[in-house]
Amino acid sequence: MAARRTPMRWPATWKDPATLALLKGTAVDCLLLEKGAGLGPIAARAQQEGLMVAEAGAPPPGVTVTDGEWPGVKLTASGTPDRVSAGPTGVPWVDANGWKIRLMAALHPGTDIWVEAVPVAPRLFPESYIIGVADAAAHGGRWIISLDERMAAGVAAGNPEALRAWKTLTGAAGFFSAHEEWLQYVPAAVVGIISDFGGQNETMSHEILNLVARTNQQYRIILKKGFSKACFQGLRAVIYADEDPPAPDLRKEALAFVRSGAMLITGPRWGELPGRPLAGVEHPRYELRAFGRGRLAVSRADLDDPYLIASDSMVLISHRHALVRFWNAGAVGSHLAVTPDRKRAVLQMVFYARLFGDNRPSVRIAGRYRQTRLWTLDQESPGAVETETQRNAVEAHLPPVTGYAAVELEV
Amino acid sequence: MGNDLTGVALDVQAGYTRREWLARAATIVPGACLAASSAGRAAAAPTAPVAVARCRTYGPELLPTLDRMFDQLGGLARIVKGRTVGIKINLTGMPSYRVGYLPLGHTHYTNPEVIAATVHLMGRAGARRIRLLESCWSTADPVEEYLLQAGWEPRDILRASRNVEFENTNCLGKSRTYSRLVVPFGGYIFPAYDLNHSYEDCDVFVSLAKLKEHASAGVTLSMKNCFGITPATIYGTGAGEDEPSELPRGGRTMMHTGYRQPPRSAPQEKDPKSPRQDGYRIPRIIVDLVSARPVDLAVVEGVKTIAGAEGPWITHGIAPTSPGLIVAGTNPVTTDAVCMAVMGYDPMADRGTAPFETCDSTLCLAEDVGIGTRDLSRIEVIGVPIKEALFDFAAIRRQRLLSPSR
Repeated sequence: MAARRTPMRWPATWKDPATLALLKGTAVDCLLLEKGAGLGPIAARAQQEGLMVAEAGAPPPGVTVTDGEWPGVKLTASGTPDRVSAGPTGVPWVDANGWKIRLMAALHPGTDIWVEAVPVAPRLFPESYIIGVADAAAHGGRWIISLDERMAAGVAAGNPEALRAWKTLTGAAGFFSAHEEWLQYVPAAVVGIISDFGGQNETMSHEILNLVARTNQQYRIILKKGFSKACFQGLRAVIYADEDPPAPDLRKEALAFVRSGAMLITGPRWGELPGRPLAGVEHPRYELRAFGRGRLAVSRADLDDPYLIASDSMVLISHRHALVRFWNAGAVGSHLAVTPDRKRAVLQMVFYARLFGDNRPSVRIAGRYRQTRLWTLDQESPGAVETETQRNAVEAHLPPVTGYAAVELEV
Repeated sequence: MGNDLTGVALDVQAGYTRREWLARAATIVPGACLAASSAGRAAAAPTAPVAVARCRTYGPELLPTLDRMFDQLGGLARIVKGRTVGIKINLTGMPSYRVGYLPLGHTHYTNPEVIAATVHLMGRAGARRIRLLESCWSTADPVEEYLLQAGWEPRDILRASRNVEFENTNCLGKSRTYSRLVVPFGGYIFPAYDLNHSYEDCDVFVSLAKLKEHASAGVTLSMKNCFGITPATIYGTGAGEDEPSELPRGGRTMMHTGYRQPPRSAPQEKDPKSPRQDGYRIPRIIVDLVSARPVDLAVVEGVKTIAGAEGPWITHGIAPTSPGLIVAGTNPVTTDAVCMAVMGYDPMADRGTAPFETCDSTLCLAEDVGIGTRDLSRIEVIGVPIKEALFDFAAIRRQRLLSPSR
């Protein structure tokens, strides 16, 4: 995954080429211009200055653009600031794009993934823009920087508050541009999600990805087409919830994976089940079967509730194997990636809601890491982070954080 | 002169007999805590000794301390030998919610070392089966998974003795039906409660609580711990209208404020017009529950805890503290009375007096229905005397109330 450029949708109201000066010293190096908006002079000057210019809606070669959500905690339809939409158990609903970026990267390997997500009121604060940038970049993509009308007007007019917000936004974009090495890291995962992610399986498989990500389980996307034995390596479990039964070669590989000591979570559409029922182990929604050294968890009913699949998978696999565990982190999203030699790792965290009070966040990261350092968007160099070493894990005590933080780890 | 909740003044000097008092009380506010005749009630309520011990850490001193305390109470074997023991632990709030960076067992959860030590001693004393019970916040997941999220290792507890198991009592659990436990005195709020089978299917019931204050109930000790035996499938925000929900959702606002009734399949409130205030309802529901499911052994752990509230969701004035104390007894009222005393509070306090500024006293209400006395002069304290054990939560509270940031 390589997000080589930092794109920006140029505001149609910024017609004066002098406004390009706003980009000086920023990471923005690709402008997407609205066709027919009278931005010809902008395009000409931008190209003279070495910026890539493309038409909005027609991305440059090597780029896949995906429609995303304006990330953050979903507010009620009325937009009342103190009310939020909640998921089935009362946990706030979070709009996030990380899963989609990773899916697009899997479906379109070798391309850069850009997210088109227009800022939506009332989440138009400077920190909302930070989350817009971080939500995409933490997962290896890039948000196409888009300003809401008020901010665009304010920046163009030199409004100090708007300029501060602009500086914060471009500072965040610059941070990720300066950390492209993290894009070479491999996502760590405990669970794999197998699907073709299209056709009749699109809605369910996408929602499973979305909600598994929301639980902060670290996951791997396994495409039915072109899967290999290596796709299962290092995982504790895989989820298969597609409508159609797996092809014989996939079935064979998945069952070999289970036999070696892992778990398959699936439904009745999987078809014939090997193994024997596990005595004395009960689950309200799944039949558990022993097979080799592993287990099959087969839903008694059709798998039709992605929320339940995601939350049940955490318990079926067990929190014991969680790679990442948070306290006091509120609505947080995370992405843990490791170097191929597994000696270094980075945990990127996006805090979709403001954290209140003295309850500072902390995170436990599985692994025998001995050195840690903390990156935040407002500091050019990494800082120390208080840690507690545990058996096969390290717990990092984070300072109050706004929007984003990353913990770099080294064994 | 004292006041009941209706504002009717009662003459302390009236000299009613207990029978007359009960009859009069019944005509005013059934079961209301009436400070005026507390002395008479205290004299009638049963008493039992309470052991108090110093325990500064959760280290090696813990097990012998608990062992000695149980011996002081007559020995665990007397209570648990050959029996199935249900232990209600206190894991209030989500396991992902801590006070700062502190482990949950050092602040508002019953400490896992205390749980393991108690389990070990019960096993050694001959308990046939030990079941650790808690209604985990807004989930039907196994307690073990809940503990893992807290950062605990459930195997450490499961291996502390033979035949140890957990059950999440926030839902139907391992039974096909809920158990209906009737409140013998008729109940303050509900005449009976539908609970997870575990509270009926145990010969001995233990409340293994944390020594804390509580925003709505003044204190949370061995009795308040039992508020959490109610399943959210019936008494929670997401409970069904006709039947219990399959999965528990949300907290117990229904119990706190009475904004709705439990599903029609469950016993309904006796008087839906009674005050809809948590300071009125919570203490009464606690007493209902402790009466319906009597506590055979109360252990209140205050080695490390918090002052100011029951958990980190109360954002003002929480302070991690280390009282270094454990209190245990076979009567939850006498045990809680001694706990209050070591916290610097008067267990005879009623509504309007700390820590019951805005609520009724659970202890008083429990004493009223004959569960136990809160009168320290009638309670034998074994081990460390109250005066020596004192860890002054009351003084911390006074300071907090005077704090300009409030």
